[in-house]
Amino acid sequence: MLTLRKWLCGTVLSVSACSVNAATELTMYYPVAVGGPLTEVVDGMIEKFEGQHPDISVNAIYAGNYNDARIKALAALKGGEPVQTSVLFSIDMLELKDMGVIRPFDDFVKTPEDKAWLNSFYPALMENGQSEQKTWGVPFQRSTIVMYYNKDAFRAAGLDPEKPPTTWQALRKTAAKLVKKNSAAEVERWGLMIPSTGYPYWMFGALTKQNGERLMSADGTQVNFNSPGTVEALQFWLDLSNKDQVMPKGTIEWGTLRQNFLEQKTAMMWHSTGNLTAVLKNATFDVGVAQLPGNIEQGSPTGGGNFYLFRNGSEQEQQAAFELIKFMTSPEQSAQWSKTTGYVGVSSAAYDTESLIDYTKKVPQALVARDQLEHATAELATYQAGRVRKMLDDAIQSALIGQQPPKAALDSAQAQAERVLRKHRS
Amino acid sequence: MSINSAKGSAASIKWFSASNTLAAWVLALLWISPLLYMLWASLHTGSAAITFDLSEPISLDNFQQAWQMAPFTRYLINTFASVSILLIAQLLVCTLAGYALARVKFTGRNVVFVLILLQLMVMPEILISENYQFIAQLGAVDSYLGIALPYIASAFGIFLLRQTFKQMPQELHDAARIEGLGPLAILVKVYVPLAKPTYLAYALVSVSYHWNNFLWPLVITNTEASRPVTVGLALFGSPETGVDWGVLSAGTLIAIAPLLAIFLIFQRQFMQSFMTAGIK
Repeated sequence: MLTLRKWLCGTVLSVSACSVNAATELTMYYPVAVGGPLTEVVDGMIEKFEGQHPDISVNAIYAGNYNDARIKALAALKGGEPVQTSVLFSIDMLELKDMGVIRPFDDFVKTPEDKAWLNSFYPALMENGQSEQKTWGVPFQRSTIVMYYNKDAFRAAGLDPEKPPTTWQALRKTAAKLVKKNSAAEVERWGLMIPSTGYPYWMFGALTKQNGERLMSADGTQVNFNSPGTVEALQFWLDLSNKDQVMPKGTIEWGTLRQNFLEQKTAMMWHSTGNLTAVLKNATFDVGVAQLPGNIEQGSPTGGGNFYLFRNGSEQEQQAAFELIKFMTSPEQSAQWSKTTGYVGVSSAAYDTESLIDYTKKVPQALVARDQLEHATAELATYQAGRVRKMLDDAIQSALIGQQPPKAALDSAQAQAERVLRKHRS
Repeated sequence: MSINSAKGSAASIKWFSASNTLAAWVLALLWISPLLYMLWASLHTGSAAITFDLSEPISLDNFQQAWQMAPFTRYLINTFASVSILLIAQLLVCTLAGYALARVKFTGRNVVFVLILLQLMVMPEILISENYQFIAQLGAVDSYLGIALPYIASAFGIFLLRQTFKQMPQELHDAARIEGLGPLAILVKVYVPLAKPTYLAYALVSVSYHWNNFLWPLVITNTEASRPVTVGLALFGSPETGVDWGVLSAGTLIAIAPLLAIFLIFQRQFMQSFMTAGIK
């Protein structure tokens, strides 16, 4: 259809007739990283945008998970198909910038209103979107790690359900009290589960931040995998199962953890705030949500997807894509997206909207992730992000399953990452 | 002594066949257990899906929910159409190519054959970007043709048919020529009927591979008009937050049901053709 219209415009109809009548047509890819019929929610938001901008029409195309979406977007860009904007993994920024396929938002931000818009986002959410004093990605579906806990289990164990642990020491003690064993001394309910498949580097980013360390430099050319503080953080993770025995040994599946928590196989879990709506909906017990405990300081990495502007299409189309992104990240839309998913609202203005004020009155748990943002840090993002991430993931897992002691595992990850990153330092 | 050894060998044969049967059962159970688990999970609600309590009530809620989450009828039609188009084109191309490589003498035949074999060693995923560019130039993005095109000249199919055609007695070929048949007529009347088992075996491999293919169709399609069922199914997997096993299982069952049905109906033919074609 599109090609037919282009062909008609190019050959049959006069140029002026085309440019007057044709609406600007945008294509946007988006990944769905949380379950449920979210494609409908996105479609609804797009419809609203088109209502406000009758001259712009948007094809919002569902593109799999973050990885699939990146592959699809890059293939389309190389193949010359129109795609002006996409929601992609926030930590893909350096790679996309390196390839020269994205444009900085600074090219479009001109009016004072635009500047106010760009400054409205929570600073922690911008860390993974800025490089070389420019903004390449703006937050859309962003998360932090929070601690979900079973308040009923707290009560049964004689703990105050309104006082979840805030330090590592308190976490160990609380978790130990929450472990429930049957008459045969087998564990029926664990105290805590921290998932170690899927995104182990993400959980580790929280533990290291809590221990006062950052996993990488702001420019993404240096990693800090084996400093004493980082090794200590991995040792703490390992000790929770080996020494304190409040967490199952070995690795813990990311994909089934939510179900395990709902099944009361564990009294506490660390998981993405993107889970919140689904957990609250399916839990048969009283659910508490807390910020992660700290050791030296509190902390969690941010996560999730950002909007990018591609170098693709005419200037007019790119301008229209910029309008679309402004709309999708506006307080009302952000509030709506936060309510249906559990993702963090991207600006403080989102939390001032009536709908989110009403919602958080009913569901105060939804405020935890936002409040935690002041302790948040960037998610692990370096050049050659995929490879470097895998090196750290492998090191963490090999330590957790007892193949290597934490120090040796992290030393080797550091050495491997050094080899890859060396050529990106100028 | 001789009687004893005869007894002994009879016993060992018995023991051997018994252990064979046992091994077959173990393998069969291993193979079918994920399917059985999926069936179990799809019939139970979230929490019951992972507990194995036989007293839990059975319900079809998951199927209803899954069916409503995605336009499965459309997706299944798309899958069926693109897989059929692909298979027909593959059979046509591979038959002609296999025949030429097996029976037509031309210079550079071996070079061509080696080049085709090289294709077997390239992972199709590596070519996604190049393939996409080409399909985009043809204007076939988001169409059945776009899904099928990169896979039509299947190296595996050409190789398989060449080997099959090569094994056929030259005498048949010569006899047909004496009867006055041209090269194409010989192919259609002599070679193709004799290679039936190979065709069946290849069709099964091709259909099951492309029925389950995910990444390429996701990349090359944009709308419900052409998206296959595997892409629709991906809506249920939710990497960031975990998975609702019941609904996911129900959706998967819907997606693979036609394939399973075909396999069960043609089971005997498939088995026979696999044995005669020698793909193990």
